[in-house]
Amino acid sequence: MLEIRNLTKIYDDGTRALNNVSFSVEDGDFLVVIGLSGSGKSTLLRCINRLINPTEGEILWNGVDLAKLEGEDLRNTRRKIGMIFQHFNLVKRSSVMNNVLSGRLGYTPSWKSVLGQFSAKDKQKAWDSLERLNIKDQALKRADELSGGQQQRVGIARALMQEPEMILADEPVASLDPVLAHSILQYLEKLNQEDDMTIICSLHYLDLVQRYATKVIGLKDGEIVYQGSRKDIRAMTDREFKDIYGEEAVRVGGLEGDLSAGGDQS
Amino acid sequence: MSKKEITKREGEIKPSLVPPILSAILSAILPGLGQALARDWRRGLTMFLGFSTSFGLLVWRFQSAARRDVGFIDIFKKAIRIEPILIWLTIATIAFWIWTIADAYLTAKRPPKKAVGIFLVMGIVFASLGWQIGQVDLVKLITEINDAERAVNHVMWPWSRAVTRPVEYVEPEAYIQVPCTDTPFAQPEVPEGEPYLISDPTCGDLAVLEGERGTELTLTGGNFIPGEQVTIKWYDPLKVSFTHRQDGEFMQFPVDENGSFEVKITMPYRLVPPSASEEAQKWTVFAQQVIATGSLEPSEELKLVVEKMIETIFIGMMATAFGIILALPVSFLAARNLMSASPVTLAIYYLVRTILNLVRSIEPVIWAIIFVIIVGLGPFAGILALTIHSIAALGKLYSESIESIDSGPIEAIQATGANWIQTVMFAVVPQIIPPFVSFTIYRWDINIRMSTVVGLVGGGGIGYLLIQWINKTDFRAAGIAVWFIAVTVAILDYISAEIRERYV
Repeated sequence: MLEIRNLTKIYDDGTRALNNVSFSVEDGDFLVVIGLSGSGKSTLLRCINRLINPTEGEILWNGVDLAKLEGEDLRNTRRKIGMIFQHFNLVKRSSVMNNVLSGRLGYTPSWKSVLGQFSAKDKQKAWDSLERLNIKDQALKRADELSGGQQQRVGIARALMQEPEMILADEPVASLDPVLAHSILQYLEKLNQEDDMTIICSLHYLDLVQRYATKVIGLKDGEIVYQGSRKDIRAMTDREFKDIYGEEAVRVGGLEGDLSAGGDQS
Repeated sequence: MSKKEITKREGEIKPSLVPPILSAILSAILPGLGQALARDWRRGLTMFLGFSTSFGLLVWRFQSAARRDVGFIDIFKKAIRIEPILIWLTIATIAFWIWTIADAYLTAKRPPKKAVGIFLVMGIVFASLGWQIGQVDLVKLITEINDAERAVNHVMWPWSRAVTRPVEYVEPEAYIQVPCTDTPFAQPEVPEGEPYLISDPTCGDLAVLEGERGTELTLTGGNFIPGEQVTIKWYDPLKVSFTHRQDGEFMQFPVDENGSFEVKITMPYRLVPPSASEEAQKWTVFAQQVIATGSLEPSEELKLVVEKMIETIFIGMMATAFGIILALPVSFLAARNLMSASPVTLAIYYLVRTILNLVRSIEPVIWAIIFVIIVGLGPFAGILALTIHSIAALGKLYSESIESIDSGPIEAIQATGANWIQTVMFAVVPQIIPPFVSFTIYRWDINIRMSTVVGLVGGGGIGYLLIQWINKTDFRAAGIAVWFIAVTVAILDYISAEIRERYV
């Protein structure tokens, strides 16, 4: 169980990216965060695994306040939280295999990893992850030789290497076309349902939100303006949608799995 | 864009400050002034700078063509006699001036169209000036191209100098007493089966005055190797040798089939200090045959070239190695993304960048001259010169590749729970290694080429050899060096391109 209490982040330039945000996520939830660009979605996700240090507030995960962790404790907690990114953030010139193995760094002693030594068990685990994501045959290629959808699957495989209990996904499909978006989210759904991982994912496409989310929060200017269950999101009104996405927003689709109609973000 | 254009047009439509005629007169006095007052100051400034520069250069060319003359008329007359192209230049500059006046009139009268004509005239004036200043002479290039034939042929095909055969000298001597005394040298006995040279008489006088003839000697030789060339040479009393000249020509001829010859020579013209002529001295005349023995072997020049070529490659290599070691720390100081955190580090960044740019703008040849003064002639000076330049060049290239690293992977690796060193090794190093390797190989390639050039000024390596042979007009030897440089550079160029392509 993850519980965010009064989380606030003010950047050095004075921007208030998050303002007194509170919500909770049950284990096994597929939480989707929606909101315009700049509404604070990325900041929120990065505060959870402390890539960004929050200014105020508590991040209670299984009773531990992540906001107060430092050094070794922080790194050990990060191991349990996988993260995937909009731009995949793979090391482009390294092989797919090395990218996936790097997910194991938190469990590997420094001197071994500096020499590039991973245990046979880790290597086997990497092969298994790649197989699970159907890209085993690409393992020895350079990461930048792969297509966007394949690169994002490598990103997921890297996160899986951490044996995570929770996955943070920062707009994982924003750089992909709708069909690929669907397939990536299905992998996340599988992890959510089969492996019981908690997923916190930011998305733009309302159609995808309605299809995959079990719980939704909407951010606007760093504040929560919407909270709803799966049921609520399917019954979302135009007013609520406009509160989050602004007056100009046009509601598109709403049909489950009808992806060609989706994608209007403006 | 279009909005801006419109406002600019509108600005031009404003009426001129002066009437067209006045504008023309003003431009006649000070080219460009008329245009400036017609509210087109930019055009006016261009006209002024263009005209005053070309006029100034023209005056300078006249003066340098007729340096010793004074007075306007004299200088003009003398200069156009020496350099007829100056007439054309004068006409072109006057045309430019008239055009400027006309342009001022038109600019004041109505908003001008694009100034194509006037810039064309300006271009022609400057091209002509360049032709004259650069002493372009295409006729000379074509008619005298044959002068280079010998040098080019020797450089293109120098291989006769690359091999040599060991030689033996056959050089029997005869002694001549100068001047004759009461007891001249006795004739030696003719040895059996050995080469010999006999002079008759065995004493005589040198030609002391220009044009005077010395004593005539009859030289008889025998037992030489038949058919081979023989050369008559001398040793003076100090054992300094010189080749005999008979009426200005070297005495060189083949001996007959019995290996003997007989020639008449007159004793050479030599200035002898008065003290030396007080008593009789012993001069030696000898007939020399050079006989090649044994098989072909590499010449001294070829060996030197190979030796210095290896030295050159290592100069380039060492300079690159030192360059890498010193450029690495510098590059981190010159990377904006690492140094923009605080005003202090930013100041260091600007300082380092400025120093790198300054150092890089000074050619390695200049650095080599400086280091030759410090450490003396030789490869070390060359290594130092190239190192300095490499640090500056690599420092810039490295720092640019550090600046361009993607922060995404760093974030991703941190998110896996990796510590600092793991993040650097897995997210930073893989991103900077390939460009670093690429730039380093590229630099090595440059350094090998440049090490030839720093050798010209004493920085060791093959360039040092090359410049000496060129100065001696020994084009065959220079040709060997040129060939080796060309082939080595081509091979290394190919290798480095290949490595970069595979690696990056």
